[in-house]
Amino acid sequence: MTIVRHTTKAAIIATAVALASNAQAFDPSAGTGKYTDPGITDKEIVIGLHAPLSGRLKGFGFDALYAAKAWYDMINKRGGVWGRKIRVIVADDKCSPTELVAVQKKFVTVDKVFLLHGGSCTHSAVAAQEYVTRNKVPYVMLNASGDSAVFPPTRYVFGAFGGSQRTVGGTIVDFAVRALKAKRIAYIAHDDNYGASNSAAGAFMAKKLGAEMVAVEKVSRKIVDVTAPVLKVRAARADVLIITTYTGPAALIVKKAHALGLKIPIVAAVQAVPIPALFAKNVGNPAAFTNFYYGSPLNDLTRGPKQQWIINMYKAAYPDRKPNPFMAYGVPSAQAVVYALMMAGPNPTRESFIDAMSKVNFNTGILAGPIELGEKKRDGHNASIFVKFDGKNHARMKGVYFNQYRGQN
Amino acid sequence: MTGTLILQGVASGLVTGSVYALIALSLVIVFKSTEVINFAGGEFVMLGAYVAMFFLVLLGLPYIIVVPVVALIVFCIGAAFDRVILDRVLGRHRPGQSIMVAMVIATVGLSFAFKGTVRLFRVSDNVRTLPPIFSTDPVFLGQVVLSRQDIAIFVIAVAVMVLLFSFFQFTKLGRALRATSENPRAATLVGIPVRRMRTLIWGIAAALSAVAGVLVAPKLLVSPDMGGVIILAFAAAIIGGFTNVLGVIVGGVVLGVIENLVGLFVSSKAIAIAPFIVIILILMVRPQGLFGGAAPIKKV
Repeated sequence: MTIVRHTTKAAIIATAVALASNAQAFDPSAGTGKYTDPGITDKEIVIGLHAPLSGRLKGFGFDALYAAKAWYDMINKRGGVWGRKIRVIVADDKCSPTELVAVQKKFVTVDKVFLLHGGSCTHSAVAAQEYVTRNKVPYVMLNASGDSAVFPPTRYVFGAFGGSQRTVGGTIVDFAVRALKAKRIAYIAHDDNYGASNSAAGAFMAKKLGAEMVAVEKVSRKIVDVTAPVLKVRAARADVLIITTYTGPAALIVKKAHALGLKIPIVAAVQAVPIPALFAKNVGNPAAFTNFYYGSPLNDLTRGPKQQWIINMYKAAYPDRKPNPFMAYGVPSAQAVVYALMMAGPNPTRESFIDAMSKVNFNTGILAGPIELGEKKRDGHNASIFVKFDGKNHARMKGVYFNQYRGQN
Repeated sequence: MTGTLILQGVASGLVTGSVYALIALSLVIVFKSTEVINFAGGEFVMLGAYVAMFFLVLLGLPYIIVVPVVALIVFCIGAAFDRVILDRVLGRHRPGQSIMVAMVIATVGLSFAFKGTVRLFRVSDNVRTLPPIFSTDPVFLGQVVLSRQDIAIFVIAVAVMVLLFSFFQFTKLGRALRATSENPRAATLVGIPVRRMRTLIWGIAAALSAVAGVLVAPKLLVSPDMGGVIILAFAAAIIGGFTNVLGVIVGGVVLGVIENLVGLFVSSKAIAIAPFIVIILILMVRPQGLFGGAAPIKKV
């Protein structure tokens, strides 16, 4: 009952929830009984759901997967989609490319699923692209950003429901320029595809908004001493420092910036500050947070009022588990799947589901901006909010910030 | 401006390099005594950091107690590895067979075992750090800025190296260990219990790595993968000479400084590859390292 009350409340602000709550209005006997694709009958539709459920990257996917499953369970309690129950088969992909592809092959050939939904790590999610395209199976990523799989877009793969790295880079510069009035931006990213993707979007947005990138430092994920990049930022006389590295190097950079007397505002990407309290501990000095902000693709603080309904849904489904900050990221992709199944009509095929996914456009009630997909747009989300963080307290900054980079020069 | 950058880069490089040197020392003393390259050296560093985290964060003990306790615990683990595993590997050795591969594989196996064990605990799910030894507020030394923490790391690393040097140079046990490493057969003939000495060396090397782990934690952060720093220790050892203790210390410091100067004057991207380029250059020009040379005493 609690779930229904909370989700009904959320439905006021979330189109997806509104659609889901109307599921019973569709005629349960609308199915024809003749299906060309596997994984669908008059009574059920089968989804292969996977994420890292063990191993060192389990934290990215475990709660996200079970949040998605809780969403499907909630839809089933309300009558399912076009009268069909969603049956979910869960598997552990360990965030390993080979494991993920093996899991998907098993889902498709043995379990005969209708569609694939999963993946919390870009490098493994990207590995699936060739297999799903060859077999024409719809693949909706769970919470992987998956830049290399959605840029350039391909027909069967949808991802970045929490935002791509282009979203990260574009929105963070949008915030730095529009909210912090930055004119000279220093940018520290990783020297990999992630860094290339977010820094390209950052550079584009800086140019578009009339700001200058005065230092762009690319560092290894395994960097030990960040003195050199921070010194170069200081020498560049930037008026804001943007960090899009992972949390370990980001903590070292913030610590070193303070030690070297760098007093400009620092804006960190979501991947740099996945758990703000832990990040503050790792930096170890509250004085380093005098002028510090972090980005988030959510519509509120992780435990903020707008996030409560999804936290409550999860807790009601799994009373013995305390969700980690990645939990909420699992739901938007599940919402998109349900949305597209509804839009695909009472007798969906994999191809009509793909066509419906290509028209998805709704507010999740979870994310900062809408989920918008298209024929040439397979990345779901393009917005961020920003939070001022002093090491203990969080204050959401006004406004939602958007990325406008679509790969153009 | 360039002068200040160089000075700053050198100062920070000295701090990082001193920790590389400490880890490299643990590799070298094992290699000199047993001719085994310890591929689990990085995991001893990681283990030291996690054990320290247990005592510092969960039990709230001060560093002054935690550092010796961590050193003792990891010493026992290192010594036990030699007694329980390496001893048996050596025992199965048949004349004419190369024992090196088996020994190296044993250390590689140990490194995976350590990482896997740590990952069983939820504490390893996220990157963490240890409470600061001192404040991370800046201290200005002329135009150079360091944190109190950096200065503490450097001082402690140097103190540990001096202690180790004194132990090997001026104590009876230390001299026995050196004799064992230089010529085990001759050491046996003069009554030194070589097997026990070898166990002691493994314990000391493990303890040294653990102390380095406590020191490097604020710079590297604590995660099951932090043992990857061993690659930099190998680089330091190769630069200095794998058989020369003083050379290894110099190698570590040189490496720390090179990383920063490359980052400042070439590219931040090049920091990660600089140690490997240096290794290749050293191996091409002077394979025995800057300070390495033929052993002064030929083995009997």
